[in-house]
Amino acid sequence: MHEENVFTKAGLLSLALLFTFVAGWEVYLRLQGFGLSYNDDEALWAYHRQRIYQATTANPVIIGSSRMKFDIDQPTWEKISGSAPVQLSLVGTSPRPLLTDLANDPDFHGAVLIGMTEGIFFTPSGSFPERQARKCVAFYPTWSMAQQSGFAIGRLLESSLLFLDEEQFSLRGLTSQLAVANRPGVFAPPVFPQKFVTRDFNRQTTMTPEFVADTTLQNQVKAIWMYIASQAPREPMPDSVLTGIFREVSADVRKIQERGGKVLFVRMPSTGPIREGEKQAFPREKYWDRLLEATGAPGIHYEDYAELARYDCPEWSHLSPDDAKKFTADFIRIIGQQTGGAFSLSNADSARFNTLMFR
Amino acid sequence: MVFNSYTFILFFGLVLLLHHASLSWKVKKINLLLASYLFYAVWNPPFILLLWLSTVVDYRVALALGKEEQKGKRQALLLLSLLVNLGMLGFFKYGGFLLDNFVAMVSLLGISYQPANPDIILPVGISFYTFQTLSYTLDVYRRKFTPETSLLDFSLFVTFFPQLVAGPIVRPGELLPQFKTPHLATRAQLTQGLFLLTLGLFMKVGMADGLLADTSDAVFGVPFPLHPLDAWTGVLAFSGQIFFDFAGYSTCAIGIALSLGFVLPDNFRYPYAAIGFSDFWRRWHITLSSWLRDYLYIPLGGSRHGVARTYLSLMITMLLGGLWHGASWTFVVWGALHGIFLSVERLFRNRLVRLPRVPLTTPSAPVISQAAVVSSLSFGREATKFVLAMITFLLVSLSWVFFRAPDFDSAMRLLLAMFGVIPTRIPLLTTLDIYKVMVVIIAMLACHWMMRGTSVARVAKHTPWWVLGTGWAFMLIMLVLTQKSTGSFIYFQF
Repeated sequence: MHEENVFTKAGLLSLALLFTFVAGWEVYLRLQGFGLSYNDDEALWAYHRQRIYQATTANPVIIGSSRMKFDIDQPTWEKISGSAPVQLSLVGTSPRPLLTDLANDPDFHGAVLIGMTEGIFFTPSGSFPERQARKCVAFYPTWSMAQQSGFAIGRLLESSLLFLDEEQFSLRGLTSQLAVANRPGVFAPPVFPQKFVTRDFNRQTTMTPEFVADTTLQNQVKAIWMYIASQAPREPMPDSVLTGIFREVSADVRKIQERGGKVLFVRMPSTGPIREGEKQAFPREKYWDRLLEATGAPGIHYEDYAELARYDCPEWSHLSPDDAKKFTADFIRIIGQQTGGAFSLSNADSARFNTLMFR
Repeated sequence: MVFNSYTFILFFGLVLLLHHASLSWKVKKINLLLASYLFYAVWNPPFILLLWLSTVVDYRVALALGKEEQKGKRQALLLLSLLVNLGMLGFFKYGGFLLDNFVAMVSLLGISYQPANPDIILPVGISFYTFQTLSYTLDVYRRKFTPETSLLDFSLFVTFFPQLVAGPIVRPGELLPQFKTPHLATRAQLTQGLFLLTLGLFMKVGMADGLLADTSDAVFGVPFPLHPLDAWTGVLAFSGQIFFDFAGYSTCAIGIALSLGFVLPDNFRYPYAAIGFSDFWRRWHITLSSWLRDYLYIPLGGSRHGVARTYLSLMITMLLGGLWHGASWTFVVWGALHGIFLSVERLFRNRLVRLPRVPLTTPSAPVISQAAVVSSLSFGREATKFVLAMITFLLVSLSWVFFRAPDFDSAMRLLLAMFGVIPTRIPLLTTLDIYKVMVVIIAMLACHWMMRGTSVARVAKHTPWWVLGTGWAFMLIMLVLTQKSTGSFIYFQF
């Protein structure tokens, strides 16, 4: 056969097979009940990082780890305050490099909420829990025009095609679901159930309805938390390291405050054995109280407010979507009350808040 | 922009459309030039100025060289081109490195000197286009190539987007004549080009990024000694990653150019099936090794001035070849190791055993689709040749440790861990990671061994269309499944 025809026919066949596969894969995943989800990568983080210069107390920048992404419901926040917060938290990641990034940006004068999950926040500088944050901070200034246009196209595709959920349906995501026993002594990265969460374009992470309804799935995630906790260092952090962390964080907080910015530390809910373990490993007086004392910044610990402490986390660490909505409304009100106006919404926002809350 | 991006798919679609529109050849070349500048500018627009500087200087210098007869003035013109091109390369690529070494030297003399951090950003692909324009000026100086009178054609030669940032490094005689007459891909070239583009992306996205990069990054990134199994797996993963990454880029470049109707030289020829190091360098980054041979090794004397001078020329060439890859002493050590391997092999060949010589020149067939069969080595049985190829592969892999490691401490820690010298042995990789690397590396070696005497196009030509189509679809599906990759190609940083 003529060479020209060989490649042309092969090319047409490959396209037919490709489209058949893609269509079949998309339909199959939809029939399985999966929902659309955006890739929460460095590009999406960088897209939201651009918005920090408009941040005020009404729409602060949120940094922290997964609890900030699950528990602060952005649509609720926007409904109350009139504008959506800038969600920069990263799952399983210490917010300290993000705080330093904001502190070192002379154009940032806004408000920032810092989520504090002790096991992630209080780790030595440069350690693993900071990796993704450092990656994002380094990526942002190098985000080229080509990458930005690629992101814009990707965003359009991800808003329609379910199989583009990289975390779940990429080759890497799919192979990670294979049950291959590990050698002793190797830390196995957690493999979450496929129907655990979805991620919106605003970087909101939400538990799926299937997860909220299925205790088997919840137990799988609880087992993952217990495995991670079992791998944590047994010895308490040396006081010199802890003092160094307080010093670093205080310096960053001061820089933001000196430019007229506002800082508020937040401790989000956790329940069950996770909370018990955290209490033992990170006594409040040694970590949370000292952090507020060292930085001089205000803080809201959920245990101090009955409205915030009334929830039961389905997998001991994050709120369900319905609870996150109620939690966010209470949280906004408490921020205004407890920070002496420093973090309160504007008068107009307050009026809108009262209208919404007491309607 | 990178080939493995949505932006490039859109960009390339538009370029293909414009190139196949009924426009004059000159307009099509202007389109290609503007597209090439856009391709480069979306990384960092100001660096376009460097491309222009290099283009204008070499264009004017070559024209002057064509007219000038006096030896002294010709040398001065050549010196000007060398100063501009190597000056740019030296400043952007080696500025920080030279400053660090200067500070270290003066501190040895007891002088404390703390300069400000120069914070120099390396322009993407500067080593590639600098070598390409240098080869033009040097060839004109040696009267091997007539100066190009068309600024448009010369600008396109310097900037042609498929190979601008990571090669293949094209000689003027290989590309400039192709701009003289209208080049439009035939349907066969277009589809073959798209096939090669898919193959290259599959190598980069599916293999390098999808299956090997994480393991390699993890092993080279830890600050503690690893279990030998983890250390070996990480090093083998990098051997595969760098091949799939770089050969993938070259295959994409060749495919993109071919689908526009242009032929680029072959850059990789199944290097991990090489028997010995001279064979390896005829198969790995062919356009760089032939550049170093023609513009460095031979002018240094090559093998024409006795044994000692030959080995000296070889070592200098490989040391500078190492330094070309990166401004760090680890790259120099990598080059030195290859210089030593080549010298030992040469010693064996000349003194101890009579191994047949494989021709030094690259085959005249210029594209991957025409990759010639390397003359078969007649010594030994097939099994012996395979064992020699595996020894070559292992030594090449060991040398990659210096290429990839961030510093000497990390490199030595990893090498000692590989051979179980360090008593502390920390396991790092999951069983699944180890399986993935081993499957890919074994498949890669088997593929290199089976393909070592042939080419993709030759095999494709003798494959039924439905088998070829199914294989092509498999690669496309793997691309879709792997989705995003880690982004940049490794060789962009060089």
